[in-house]
Amino acid sequence: MINQDRLRLMTKMAAYEAGEGQKNMAIASYFRSDYMGFQIIKSVICATIAYAILFGLFIYYDLENFMQDIYKMDLMSFGRSVLLYYVIFVTGYSIICYIVYSIRYYKAKTSLKKYYNRLKQLSAMYDLEKKKG
Amino acid sequence: MSSLLELREKLRDIYSKGEVYLTPLFKFILALVSLLAINGNIGYMDRISGNIIIPLIVALMCSFMPMNFIVLFGAVFTCLNAYAISMECGIVALAVFLLMFILYFRFSARDTIVVALLPLMFMLKIPYIIPIAVGLLCTPLSVVSVACGTVAYYMVLFFKENAQTIIDLDTEEAVGKFRFVIDGLIGNQEMLVVLIAFSVIVVIVYVIRRLSIEHAWTIAICVGGVVGTTILLIGDLSFDTHISLLALILGMIVSLLLAVVLQFFAFNVDYSRTEYVQFEDDEYYYYVKAVPKNSVPQAKVKVRKIH
Repeated sequence: MINQDRLRLMTKMAAYEAGEGQKNMAIASYFRSDYMGFQIIKSVICATIAYAILFGLFIYYDLENFMQDIYKMDLMSFGRSVLLYYVIFVTGYSIICYIVYSIRYYKAKTSLKKYYNRLKQLSAMYDLEKKKG
Repeated sequence: MSSLLELREKLRDIYSKGEVYLTPLFKFILALVSLLAINGNIGYMDRISGNIIIPLIVALMCSFMPMNFIVLFGAVFTCLNAYAISMECGIVALAVFLLMFILYFRFSARDTIVVALLPLMFMLKIPYIIPIAVGLLCTPLSVVSVACGTVAYYMVLFFKENAQTIIDLDTEEAVGKFRFVIDGLIGNQEMLVVLIAFSVIVVIVYVIRRLSIEHAWTIAICVGGVVGTTILLIGDLSFDTHISLLALILGMIVSLLLAVVLQFFAFNVDYSRTEYVQFEDDEYYYYVKAVPKNSVPQAKVKVRKIH
C-alpha cells in the first residue's frame, strides 16, 4: 500500500536532488574555509590573467613611447608601480569574490538544512510505519 | 481582463507541459538571429559569414547546450570577423570578451544571456527594455551583465562603422591601428552615457519593485523609464553624443509597454515545469511525473451589511 504523504515528500526531495540540490550539495560538501579558500585561489588566478591582458593592452597601446623610454626610465620604480597596481587589483577582486561566495555558501547551507529536515520527516514516517506494521 | 488572464494561464500551461521542446526552439532562434546579426554587421570573414550553413549548424548545437554557449559562440564569431578586418581588431575583441568571461561570467553565468539579447534590442531600437527587465527580474549585480552587453554592442558598431578606415590604414602601422581601435572604444562618449543610464535604470527599478507598496512594479517601470530618458538627454547635452531624440522617446515608450507586458506575464506567476523524478524504497520503484497545478484566481468575496 503506497503512503501518499510519504510519496509527496519523497517526490519533492527527489526533485530537489535532481535540480538545485546537486549544486548545493557540491558546495556544502566542503568546509566553509576550504570552499572559500578554493574559490579565492581561482579568483586570484583569474584576476592575474585579467591583469596580464590589461597590462599587455596598455603596453601595446603606448609601445613606441615605451620602447623609447625603456632605457631612460627607472625600471625598479616602474616594476614597483606595476606590482602595486596588481596587488590592488587582485585584492579588490578577491574581496568582491569573497563576499559573493560567502553568500552563495550560506544560501546552499540554508537550502540543504530544509532538505535534511525533510529527510528526518521521511525517516520518522518509516519508523512510524514499522511500529504499526 | 479575464480573457487576458485566461490567455496567460493557457500560455503558462503550454510552457510548463512543452518546456522540453520550447526551450531548445527558443535557444535555436536566439542563437541563429544573434549569429546572423553579427555576420550581417561585420561579416568580413567569408568562411563563417559567406553562407548560412555554419550559423545554422552552430545555432542547432546551441539549442541543445546551456544558454551561455549562445554568448560564447557569438563572441567567437565577433572575434573571427574582427580578426578578418585586422589583427588589431581581433586582439581587442578577444581581450574584451576574455575580460568579461574571466572576471564576471565565471560566477554569474545566469546573466550571460543579457549579452546576447542587448545588442539585438539595440538593433530593434528598443534597448531600454533590457535594463528594465533586468531590474524587474534579477538582482542589482546584473548591472555588470547589462554593461557587458552594452560594451559588446558598441564594439561591434565601432567595427562596422570604421572597418574600411581600419583596412585602409597602412599595414605597417599596427600600433597606430591598435591605438585607433582602443581610442574609438574608450573614447566613445555615447557608450559611456548609455552605460550610466542603463546602470541607474537597473538599480532604480530593482529598488522600487522591492518596496511594499501597491503597484510597485508599475511604478518601478515608469520611474525607470523617466530617469533613463532624463540621463540620456542630459548626457546628450553634456557630451554632444547626437542621440536621436525621436528614436529615444519612441524606443522608450515601446520599451515601457513591453515591460508592462512582461510584468503581466512574470509578476507573481510560477513557471514551474513538469518534473520527472525516480526513486525507490524497500517496497517499490517510483517513476513520478509531477505536473504543476495552474493556480485559479480565487473569487473575491465582498460582504456588505445591510441594516
